[in-house]
Amino acid sequence: MSEQTATWYNLYDARPQVEVPAESPLAWSYHHSGRPAVGEKSRVVLRERDMAGHLILRGGAIVLDEAVRQVLGFGLPGRPNTLTRDESGERSVQWLSPDEWLVIVPGGEEFALEKRLREALGDAHTAIVNVSGGQTLIELSGEKARELLMKSTPYDVHPEAFPVGKGVTTVFAKANLILRRPTEERWELVLRRSFADYLYRWILDAGAEYAIGVEG
Amino acid sequence: MSQSLKQPNRLKEGGRIDRARRLSFTYNGKTYQGHAGDTLASALLANGVDVVNRSFKYSRPRGIVAAGAEEPNALVQLGSNEAAQVPNVRATQQALFDGLVARSTNGWPNVQRDAMSLVGKLGGRFMPPGFYYKTFMAPASMWMTYEKFIRKGAGLGRSPMERDPDSYDHLNQHCDLLVIGAGPAGLAAALTAARAGARVILCDEQEELGGSLLDSRELLDDRPAAQWAEQAVAELAECANVTLLPRTTANGYHDHHFVTLHERRTEHLGETAPTVDGVRSTRSRMHRVRAGQVLLATGAHERPLVYAGNDVPGNLVAGAVSTYIRRYGVVPGNRLVLSVSNDHAYRAALDWDEAGREVVAIVDARRHPDGELVEQARARGIRIIEGSAVIEAKGDKRVSGARVATIDAEAFTVTGQAETLACDTIASSGGYSPVIHLASHTGARPTWNEEILGFVPSLVKGVHAAGSARGVHDLAGGLADGMAKAREALTALGRSADAIELPRADVIREGQACALYQVPHEKPTLRAPKQFVDLQNDVTAAAIELATREGFESIEHVKRYTAMGFGTDQGKLGNINGMAIAARCLGKSIPEVGTTVFRPNYTPVTFGAIVGRHCRDLFDPERYTALHQWHVEHGAEFEDVGQWKRPWYFPRTVDGKKESMDEAVARECLAVREKVGILDASTLGKIDIQGPDAREFLGRIYTNKWAKLAPGRARYGLMCKDDGMLMDDGTTSCLAENHFLMTTTTGGAAGVMEWLELWHQTEWPELDVTFTSVTDQWATMTVTGPEARKLLGEITDIDLDRDAFKFMDWREGKVADVPARVFRISFTGELAYEINVQANYAMHVWKTLFEHGEKYGLTPYGTETMHVLRAEKGFIIAGQDTDGSVTPEDLGMQWAIGYDKPNSWVGKRALSRPDTRRTDRKQLVGLRPKDPSVVLEEGAQIVFDPDHAIPMPMVGHVTSSYYSPTLKSGFALAVVKGGHQRMGETVYLPMVDGKTHAAEIVGTIFVDPKGERQNV
Repeated sequence: MSEQTATWYNLYDARPQVEVPAESPLAWSYHHSGRPAVGEKSRVVLRERDMAGHLILRGGAIVLDEAVRQVLGFGLPGRPNTLTRDESGERSVQWLSPDEWLVIVPGGEEFALEKRLREALGDAHTAIVNVSGGQTLIELSGEKARELLMKSTPYDVHPEAFPVGKGVTTVFAKANLILRRPTEERWELVLRRSFADYLYRWILDAGAEYAIGVEG
Repeated sequence: MSQSLKQPNRLKEGGRIDRARRLSFTYNGKTYQGHAGDTLASALLANGVDVVNRSFKYSRPRGIVAAGAEEPNALVQLGSNEAAQVPNVRATQQALFDGLVARSTNGWPNVQRDAMSLVGKLGGRFMPPGFYYKTFMAPASMWMTYEKFIRKGAGLGRSPMERDPDSYDHLNQHCDLLVIGAGPAGLAAALTAARAGARVILCDEQEELGGSLLDSRELLDDRPAAQWAEQAVAELAECANVTLLPRTTANGYHDHHFVTLHERRTEHLGETAPTVDGVRSTRSRMHRVRAGQVLLATGAHERPLVYAGNDVPGNLVAGAVSTYIRRYGVVPGNRLVLSVSNDHAYRAALDWDEAGREVVAIVDARRHPDGELVEQARARGIRIIEGSAVIEAKGDKRVSGARVATIDAEAFTVTGQAETLACDTIASSGGYSPVIHLASHTGARPTWNEEILGFVPSLVKGVHAAGSARGVHDLAGGLADGMAKAREALTALGRSADAIELPRADVIREGQACALYQVPHEKPTLRAPKQFVDLQNDVTAAAIELATREGFESIEHVKRYTAMGFGTDQGKLGNINGMAIAARCLGKSIPEVGTTVFRPNYTPVTFGAIVGRHCRDLFDPERYTALHQWHVEHGAEFEDVGQWKRPWYFPRTVDGKKESMDEAVARECLAVREKVGILDASTLGKIDIQGPDAREFLGRIYTNKWAKLAPGRARYGLMCKDDGMLMDDGTTSCLAENHFLMTTTTGGAAGVMEWLELWHQTEWPELDVTFTSVTDQWATMTVTGPEARKLLGEITDIDLDRDAFKFMDWREGKVADVPARVFRISFTGELAYEINVQANYAMHVWKTLFEHGEKYGLTPYGTETMHVLRAEKGFIIAGQDTDGSVTPEDLGMQWAIGYDKPNSWVGKRALSRPDTRRTDRKQLVGLRPKDPSVVLEEGAQIVFDPDHAIPMPMVGHVTSSYYSPTLKSGFALAVVKGGHQRMGETVYLPMVDGKTHAAEIVGTIFVDPKGERQNV
């Protein structure tokens, strides 16, 4: 970040430097609603990837694409409602709206990433907002995962309409979430913290007939 | 309990029932036997049960008339126990299961001996259409009393009083082609589309897919038609791109090819859903289908003829007779008279004859019927009476005879001497009405087709009809039509489908049908014995004629005056006949009279299926903060704020006694004023604003000035709608030169976010600024009270010195080792620090505060205490003290309006209108009740002169009112006309109980008017 731009934005690492008890948005849900065990009959399995780093980027696509490419080694998704990932699959960038993307990286990387993006962006005006505490990511897999989604969202999740690499913001039960399909077998749901318990209870209820299990 | 093991009307062989599986069921307290594959109706007929209900208005005995969704009489109440009660089930649509318990919905004390029937007998003349309106409306105040008894007498079933043990859900479906109806046209269409690789959903309301093929006499490829249906269904079941939904009724056609299908998943298995592997199945499911194209293959309903006594049990529609014989092996009587206007209905007599029972006669309204089926009947030696009709059915609880006479349908007269034929069953057919209900749901009015003597659907874009649903009634034609329409539909989607090889059907030559709806009687309609049009709503031909005589000429008015086609029936059996009668009386043609509108739902849908999973604790989202668990564990009572659950107050239990809300709030208030309290303020809306034009944007969206707010500072702002009325308020902090953090009210967060985006995207796209919601990212803890500095000082590295960290400053540092932004913002009037940390770490920070807080008397408080404290300081709550008609000036907040800002801002122009400049607008003031023990009622109306005659001029109302433990008095905020100029005046609040409170108008700040306490 140049001297000139250093005063433009409040760069701020929200993650403590020392070990401090932390709770994912689903902490209360696990405590209160429990975690049904994964068994042989589980045809849907839920797993939370908690404490990941989540950043929202807002700005012009061309400049941002260059900066993201420079820092992450892969660019912004070229088309609406899609996502790109690195080879490990742990870092992803998803299109959210014409000037808005969601970056998810392993927990702890988000502040370094924010700083490096700021440097790469120079004096280009782009918003980078850390939302790691405001949302969490859960994965659904299993043969009935798609049917569970059909119970919950009006969006068409048929493979023809929702191929691997697609991601959308949509209605889920009576809330919103981000729904994406990074691989053939796996769906990812990004839940807002305050709605997480409602959505967790909904998913357990809808998944009961598939003997849904929760990993971890 | 009595038992019947005999099924006198069950044929020795035939039908699609499983004779090896006997099922036992109870109807009106008596136990009967049936078979797997029966409907409740076919089992009742097999057992010779004639009377299944009492009619709605006249309480006449009624029997089963039809075999499907159009059945008007056999409505039953299901359920062996309270929780399992289901009203309004058509016995013709309820599959029989072992242990089924059903009752008639009408009839008290029972259907055989009904108390209300006396009314029906005296009947008619005393209950003409409009009877209820005319008789019971005066005096109007008594209607509520009359209504109770009328409804009890009428009875339409009842809802359960206990919790439903079952679960229901919704499934969102998408497809290229939705085919509704799995008869010949529907199956051909589904096969065509499936083989072309399209995503297909095929649904049918019956237990088995196949529709009319299941009871057809015809052959396909030289085999019984039902066999071809089975083969087609088997092929479709193998296709990954096809979803087959039997027992699934398309109930509503909504906008944009959104169709709701009600699938009854376990209703055929038992009265509650079975448990498999410890998991209870879903009982009913609503499929919410968004289809590319929709094909209606819904078939046709046979129209009964309207003749005198046509409601006596033993009167059926002709097709139903065939269905019961061929599909269920049940022949619903011994001696049949068939009255028809067409060839197709002759099947009933042929099937009856083959079942070995006597066909007394076929009475054909046509002079010289000559089709193939007619010839077959003649060849069997069945008596055919030409040019005639059954003009009257004789009998009471069962048909005992049919009066038959020659008629002139066009002149509507009986031309010959009536002959009485002894019989126990009369079947009739006046033709076939395409099932156009779903097409009508789209708003498209159907059109009359003289050739088929029926209305055919008008279709909006993307909807197709095939087969009988559009009047193509013959088998070969229906199959071909299904295929053709499926190909059209796929072409419309930009796809294509090849023609498929259809099975070969023999063409049966049918003679021309004649138009006959109401059959003439020797007496004029108004004097003749009742001729029923709508059996479910007890509407007679005479009622329709009377309605037209009384001036109801529009068919919509006739419908409402007579109740024809009302309710769950939706005119399936009677509407066309009713229209034909109205047309005759008005001297118009049927197309001139037109149809009424059919509405969703096609047949009743249980509330469970409509609600799905959105019930009980999943009824509405509950939003929780990161500290929710602590609140629960510390006994918080919660308050709903929007969808949030916020702690309302934290009652303590002292000596085994739990504090009341007033006690808890008083304690919490004093703790904040005297020591230190803590509030979970995480629900406040928070918006991160970045960009070089962020500051300019704030200046345009807020009423006050933002140009000079330096990093490290925070400011209170007011947001108006463009009409100048206050919309939301909150503080916004400058985080860096181009970076701000805005807070909004809890309830207003989403609305403010949209508001910002709206103005940015539509009015000021040139401003380089973006908004991101961070409400969930930051947990906010307000530590407030005289001891707040000492407490926070123990666990933070931030310099809290009063000069280094002033009121309305914010600082960055660590609190309990967690990075935090701390804001010196006060909503209590006391020294206050709002601590913001990333929500994942909030619980740790909160608990650490309590570890250190005990010695300072740290007290958690909820929204109620927050309200009292802020009101004592005159801080408003947008949405409580304002209601969309209050300007910032009305609130006395001139100090927060920047009329001299260089650019205009939202609401500015509206604030210079004469109306917003009036000096007698309702303005926010404080009220002090003269009696300090009085807490005024929020919403109470204010008057200047309590002795004024009623109606008194009302000059304002109380917006917030509480008891203040600090003042030891009630106090309130209120809006009063010209209130700012009335300080010290007394106003009055007349209450409902007759008391009138007096209060003094005072300033809005009750505690610490100079604001010294928050500035320490």
